[in-house]
Amino acid sequence: MSEIGTGERRTGLPGGEAVTAHGPAADAAAAGAARAGGTWAGAIAAEWHKLRTVRSTAALAATIGAGFVLCLLWSLYASQYWDGLSAERRAKLTVAPPTQFLELILPVCGVVLGALTLTSEYATGMIRTTLTVLPRRLPLLVAKALAAAGGVFGAGLVALAAALVAGRAIAGGRPMPGFEGSLVEHLPHLVAVALTTAAITLMALGAAALLRSTAATITIGMGLMFVAPPVVRLLPAPWNDRIWWLLPTGFPNQIAPVPGSTAGDDGLPAPVAGALLVAYVAVMVGAGAYAFARRDA
Amino acid sequence: MIEVRELTKRYGATTAVDRLSFTVAPGTVTGFLGPNGAGKSTTMRVLLGLDAAESGEALVNGGRYAALRRPMFEVGALLDAGAVHGGRRAIDHLGWLARSNGVSPRRAAEVLELVGLAGVARKRVGGFSLGMRQRLGVAAALLGDPGVLLFDEPVNGLDPDGVRWIRELMRSLAAEGRTVLISSHLMSEMELTADRLIVIGRGRLIADTSVRELADRFARGVRVRSPRPDELTAVLAAAGGRVEAEQGDALRVTGLDVAEIGDRAAAHGIPLHEVAAQSASLEEAYMELTADSAEFGSVTR
Repeated sequence: MSEIGTGERRTGLPGGEAVTAHGPAADAAAAGAARAGGTWAGAIAAEWHKLRTVRSTAALAATIGAGFVLCLLWSLYASQYWDGLSAERRAKLTVAPPTQFLELILPVCGVVLGALTLTSEYATGMIRTTLTVLPRRLPLLVAKALAAAGGVFGAGLVALAAALVAGRAIAGGRPMPGFEGSLVEHLPHLVAVALTTAAITLMALGAAALLRSTAATITIGMGLMFVAPPVVRLLPAPWNDRIWWLLPTGFPNQIAPVPGSTAGDDGLPAPVAGALLVAYVAVMVGAGAYAFARRDA
Repeated sequence: MIEVRELTKRYGATTAVDRLSFTVAPGTVTGFLGPNGAGKSTTMRVLLGLDAAESGEALVNGGRYAALRRPMFEVGALLDAGAVHGGRRAIDHLGWLARSNGVSPRRAAEVLELVGLAGVARKRVGGFSLGMRQRLGVAAALLGDPGVLLFDEPVNGLDPDGVRWIRELMRSLAAEGRTVLISSHLMSEMELTADRLIVIGRGRLIADTSVRELADRFARGVRVRSPRPDELTAVLAAAGGRVEAEQGDALRVTGLDVAEIGDRAAAHGIPLHEVAAQSASLEEAYMELTADSAEFGSVTR
């Protein structure tokens, strides 16, 4: 924009004051510098800023924090329970890992964040503002995906690691399965949980692009996570197991089971579960992106 | 510069915009007028690349909007002031917008001051009145200091102070050489704000004209009162005017302007008590233009 003459721009205000906007020369310099960055960088910076500046994100962070506290309580309870057991019963005991509550809570947060990232904009109409300043839709959707999935992955991994370290400190050398072993042995499982959470976030984002409705997206996401598993268990064998294994919430234990647990003994081989997870994300995000790119805003 | 050529947009069976063509030149405020449902917002959405047209083109500065990499430096738009996330603070709303196009974050505070919202920069937008949201929307449109500005019904819901503020702002933006397009369904507002008018109805162009031309087109002659109406009628008729008697001693003269009527009367020594050019108000002109095209007309009783 440079067809405008030189000199300062002054714009009148109702009170008769005038505030100086910046002059075209300074403008051109600033714009030139700013334009050096790419569309992608702008889209990602904008989406990350959006994510940081709404209260729903703070609420999700608080939820993850609450999950961490529950994990601590679980570790305390498990340690005391362990102390009261005979050696014989200890040998047979399977203990849920110190991260168990977070493993339940994180996918919920993923669905909510993945949905809200897009549906909150459809609900308010802000999607039109967003698309007006970032007209290239695919980079925009990728930026949203990176901000939401990246945020959940980072927050999830930090919370999981903190819960594990704290849980092990609470267990204080008790040889409980799921609490013992080296930290490095536990890392793959934590990463698998965080990655699955990020994948669920992306699936929810894809569904949100198709449905454009917060209620519909979250309901379907929760249904798949909490209603589908018990229903699948009711199916006749062997289909109950086969379909059960295809549900993404179980993937972390198939991809990288908790060290010392037996959860990974049946189910899909790790590479298959990993590939399936990637395929789910590709299908959901692909369908969402197709709709997002082609439909009127 | 905005160019719309043979633009057609359908939603299902409804044709919202029907082979619409017009251009909007820099340095003027152009009013985009039409009854509710005429296709104003649709045209703006197509211009901004939000909706895809069936055929025709809508160009901004000679190119398609969707092809712009950093549109905020070229085009500022306010479509719907309510389309903001209520939980976000005003400064953060402008913050993400600035980041999206690489506008300096300092500029966000500048435009907030420009629209008079500096005092509430850290307040959440959810608590803003409609007038404050309109101002925030204007601030967002001005962030990139663009040369083309589009505002959809910017005075809707504003109090008289706010209306006056928008009017002055639009005029000053155009005076700086920017292209300003404002949609409205209120002729009375555009009469005071716009230089040019694009009137549409049922998605079609009805008039592409200036405020002045529209007023002339609907001129209703000159009203003249004189204590000697018969003599005056004869004199004016001889001069080529068409004279009709109105209520009382008033005459309506067409074909002669005020100066000519005064000169003729003076030449014949006929006293005049009133000489006034009559025109339909622009409001009436607009109602007449769009009478056939109101989407949701009321039944006249």
